Amino acid sequence: MSTLLTDADIAKLIGERKQLPASYTAKLGLKDKRGHKERELDITGENGSVFRLILRQSSSNILDFSAILAYLPEDSNQTFRLRRCNGKSHEHTNKLEHQTFYDFHIHYATERYQTSGLREDAYAIPTDKYADFHGALRCLLDECSFDEPVDPNLLLF
Amino acid sequence: MELDSIVKDFKAKVCEQLRVVPEGNERFRVFTPFLFEDGDHLAIVLKKDAGGWFLSDEGHTYMHLTYDLDEKDFGKGTRQEIITNALSTFLVADRSGELVSIVSNGQFGDSLYSFIQAVLRISDVTFLSRERVKSTFMEDFRNLIEAHVPEESRAFDWHDPKHDPEGLYSVDCKVVRRGRSPLLVYALPADERVSAATISLLQFERWGLEHLGVGVFENQEEVNRKVLARFSDVSDKLFSNLATNRDRLGRYLTENLVIQ
Repeated sequence: MSTLLTDADIAKLIGERKQLPASYTAKLGLKDKRGHKERELDITGENGSVFRLILRQSSSNILDFSAILAYLPEDSNQTFRLRRCNGKSHEHTNKLEHQTFYDFHIHYATERYQTSGLREDAYAIPTDKYADFHGALRCLLDECSFDEPVDPNLLLF
Repeated sequence: MELDSIVKDFKAKVCEQLRVVPEGNERFRVFTPFLFEDGDHLAIVLKKDAGGWFLSDEGHTYMHLTYDLDEKDFGKGTRQEIITNALSTFLVADRSGELVSIVSNGQFGDSLYSFIQAVLRISDVTFLSRERVKSTFMEDFRNLIEAHVPEESRAFDWHDPKHDPEGLYSVDCKVVRRGRSPLLVYALPADERVSAATISLLQFERWGLEHLGVGVFENQEEVNRKVLARFSDVSDKLFSNLATNRDRLGRYLTENLVIQ
């Protein structure tokens, strides 16, 4: 990770409207890998920014999962993780605050962690907004300006 | 501080941060102070099956690595070497993506230390996913030509319409010079482009097209020696890179446009 984004940049990217494609749930169906399941989906925001939804779920532990919104900077091959909803399978420590907890938690990209030489999303907060993988994905979609596809059947009325 | 106090402090710190919490039948979560680079701690579970007690990451380590890396990359090159060495050095098994360390002879502590070291070493592969900023070389090349060669004297992506209507042997930029043979300028970011340029220049020779072949490398030092030697044989002027040769290339183009 070498792209440095300010808090304002991050907020703007989170706030950029992102239209989910039709039948996105099928496109996000997890596929088996070694020891875990995964799926990714690229989405272009209304301002042309390219984002990636990254989903991970352990095959052995249903509480070990991640639903991630990453940003793909134009001039880099690296992803920048804007938001990550994690399960409850490990402790997390916020190094700058010396704060450790064991709970479902959401990672947030922050400018101060980047400028401290740490990973962009190394700051996290415990959450009770979800308690399983699907809840975490829903939370991510709700909080990161995703728009559900319009059901064509509803347009008939 | 007395040595005894220092030792006590070390022990207290390490012990305090090492906890084992029951999580079901013959299953315990092991909390340690060891972290991935994003502040997440290693995921370690102590479990028992028919074979006895073992430590497992339940697939978490590889899954965590896939935030940054493609899973396929674990099985290739340096990353594979690091992972294989870590597993064999610390006697950790990879059971279809789940890292496992068997506890032998009741040596729980030893197994835990080995397991932690293996996972930490494996997590180092993320540092190999170095940033590769997309090159702006081709764009810079074009901009530099545009800055020094008038539009009527240049033709980007030129090919000889008479001998090569399909454009099999193209030139990145043909610079027309009044009363003299044209400059055929190639932008050369990689071996493949250098080889293609060599073939094109040889073909122009065969067709009897008068020209001066010019090569501008993105970084000549990275070009295969044989590929470079072949191109040198058929070209007339080389610039080893664009970054430090901007002025020189600019002057060369300008001087070559002057009517003599």
